[in-house]
Amino acid sequence: MVLQPSERHYRDWSDRRWKGQESRVLTDRLQSPADPRRSVNSVMLADIISTVEFNHTGELLATGDKGGRVVIFQREQESKNQVHRRGEYNVYSTFQSHEPEFDYLKSLEIEEKINKIRWLPQQNAAYFLLSTNDKTVKLWKVSERDKRPEGYNLKDEEGRLRDPATITTLRVPVLRPMDLMVEATPRRVFANAHTYHINSISVNSDYETYMSADDLRINLWNFEITNQSFNIVDIKPANMEELTEVITAAEFHPHHCNTFVYSSSKGTIRLCDMRASALCDRHTKFFEEPEDPSNRSFFSEIISSISDVKFSHSGRYIMTRDYLTVKVWDLNMENRPIETYQVHDYLRSKLCSLYENDCIFDKFECVWNGSDSVIMTGSYNNFFRMFDRNTKRDVTLEASRENSKPRAILKPRKVCVGGKRRKDEISVDSLDFSKKILHTAWHPSENIIAVAATNNLYIFQDKVN
Amino acid sequence: MEFKLEAHRIVSISLGKIYNSRGQRGGIKLHKNLLVSLVLRSARQVYLSDPCPGLYLAGSPVPPPQPGEPAAGPPAGWGEPPPPAARAAWPEPETPPERPAGPDARRAVDAEPAAPGAGDTLQGGEAAATAEAAWRRAEVPRAAAAGGAGDPAGGADVCPEGPRAAHRPCACPPGGEAGPGALSCAPRPAKDERPVPPPGCPRKRGAAAGDGPADCPAPGSSPLKKPRRHPEEPAGGAAAEEEEMETGNVANLISIFGSSFSGLLRKSPAGGREEAEAEESGPEAAEPGQICCDQPVLRDINPWSTAIVAF
Repeated sequence: MVLQPSERHYRDWSDRRWKGQESRVLTDRLQSPADPRRSVNSVMLADIISTVEFNHTGELLATGDKGGRVVIFQREQESKNQVHRRGEYNVYSTFQSHEPEFDYLKSLEIEEKINKIRWLPQQNAAYFLLSTNDKTVKLWKVSERDKRPEGYNLKDEEGRLRDPATITTLRVPVLRPMDLMVEATPRRVFANAHTYHINSISVNSDYETYMSADDLRINLWNFEITNQSFNIVDIKPANMEELTEVITAAEFHPHHCNTFVYSSSKGTIRLCDMRASALCDRHTKFFEEPEDPSNRSFFSEIISSISDVKFSHSGRYIMTRDYLTVKVWDLNMENRPIETYQVHDYLRSKLCSLYENDCIFDKFECVWNGSDSVIMTGSYNNFFRMFDRNTKRDVTLEASRENSKPRAILKPRKVCVGGKRRKDEISVDSLDFSKKILHTAWHPSENIIAVAATNNLYIFQDKVN
Repeated sequence: MEFKLEAHRIVSISLGKIYNSRGQRGGIKLHKNLLVSLVLRSARQVYLSDPCPGLYLAGSPVPPPQPGEPAAGPPAGWGEPPPPAARAAWPEPETPPERPAGPDARRAVDAEPAAPGAGDTLQGGEAAATAEAAWRRAEVPRAAAAGGAGDPAGGADVCPEGPRAAHRPCACPPGGEAGPGALSCAPRPAKDERPVPPPGCPRKRGAAAGDGPADCPAPGSSPLKKPRRHPEEPAGGAAAEEEEMETGNVANLISIFGSSFSGLLRKSPAGGREEAEAEESGPEAAEPGQICCDQPVLRDINPWSTAIVAF
């Protein structure tokens, strides 16, 4: 598979070629001087993308950023005259999902950064998604309005009430077309259920419930009920001094509404069945690979912490990402993964430096392609990696503007580990650790990927001959 | 040896991370701090596994900078080792002090003659095993450990914490406020009961006095896992903090940082405690406290090294 960037392949926040409405929104934000987030430097910080997610059809792509905003892209309908040009993604809607809050009781600020976005399957004309920050989950409805009523009797065109005494005739208001407007409204706010930081949300296959997981607890919600949730996992020890692991990610099984998994900072995955008991503290399956003693170091525990867990679309496998590897597990085999892929093993000797500059705590995500044959994850220097599970081949690609002219084909990159560096290779010491790709997404059925590189979003499509 | 240096470095980096985490927006990240504390523990274990602890416990002049830490020579990477005289004072106040409480401190001060001895013995005694035992015991629920308090060896009164005291960094005592308090019984400045040691620092004297003999490991100085937090001002607050996003392992570090730890983890130091303020400037301003111990050299040492010293 060869990838090329779509024509408008990156969505830099300074890009003004967006639809009028959206760019106006962003410009307003950038220009408001009172907002401390909009100082020269903080504009950049607030724009860092923190989550990327395609919806179930792949028509929409949502991104969340550190400033609490959600930007949704929509794929253009392929037009008849340009049949060879694949649909491009354009901005569809932008809204402020979360604002910074302050917990007065604990004197803590609650960040507005969007940790995760998850789409609900579409059931009517509107789109629904869940977005969450550290403490609060919100259900947003994104709907289009392209008609508006005209011809009211009791109010005039500007909306002012008319004096009933002046009305001599009655008419029926008619719907007239208007410019398409996409509006996002918060339909539910699920708050005050988490003491610790929420790291995951996952919609259940029953489409009626979803779960939210923080460091120590997982809660089950019903979409209709915002003032209650069920706690289904609680690993908080009675004495916090005995704490040894935290929950790092959780996901529902794609087909079995009673099954979910959660990963821990110790590199283990637990599969739980909600039919077994109300509180799923006791797992049904426990996935752990024995540690390789030869690799032991001060940082063994940190690098074994799982940063992401994803079910395959088939529901048969789970994929986990720890700092240096991606592993694929068969649900039927708990004692070791069936496949292990080295993402950037050349970093193993640099763990101490990575610990010092905090890079070792980076939480990389991983994704499956639609057919579960290829897996993808990010790395440093704006590199991202793909592994083909069938052919066992892998490729390293770079998301950068210099290398991504529209229509240009992405060239595979290579990191030189030692010895002589070839012409196109990059040496480990030249890697830029501030450019990291933590969040990626793969279209559910086509070879289209979205890669978030700090505050830029790259969308690449498979080249079609 | 390199491992120890590496371990040292990692310990100091880890402590720095934990300290800095309190200022982060959004509150303390439980996961990250848990991982950091695990690294801290691993490094510490490596550090303590040195086979020749006695190397620095040699009588007079060069008691190890860190009691119980069979540390490699001069705390490499920390800068110059304090002059022997200073050193004499150094460990002594070190050990007793982290002790938390006022009462202990007072005892320490009062039992001056005993103190040095205790301090020294303690110091001498800080064999890896003891320290590790302390570490293990440190993990026993406080309540249980609290029992061990009055325990042990003779003058252990002075250092009820025993090896555990060793884990208290002198650098960050909220005590930065008080003279000897700084190094020593600084931990609970909140306590008025804490003696206000004269700048002369009786402890220091004690240390000097007790400098000679030393080596017999303070037996028994059972690491008193004194519920340091209890006496702490908002004890309720401390408990509440546990409920907040704090790591349990990091809670162990309370023994290291003393009362200032809660201040560390509490987002707003203005939790009404003066020492929180002091602790903020703690590491940097540790110097004032150390003056009393007449160890100007300590000013030059990375403040965190003092924590490690106690470690």
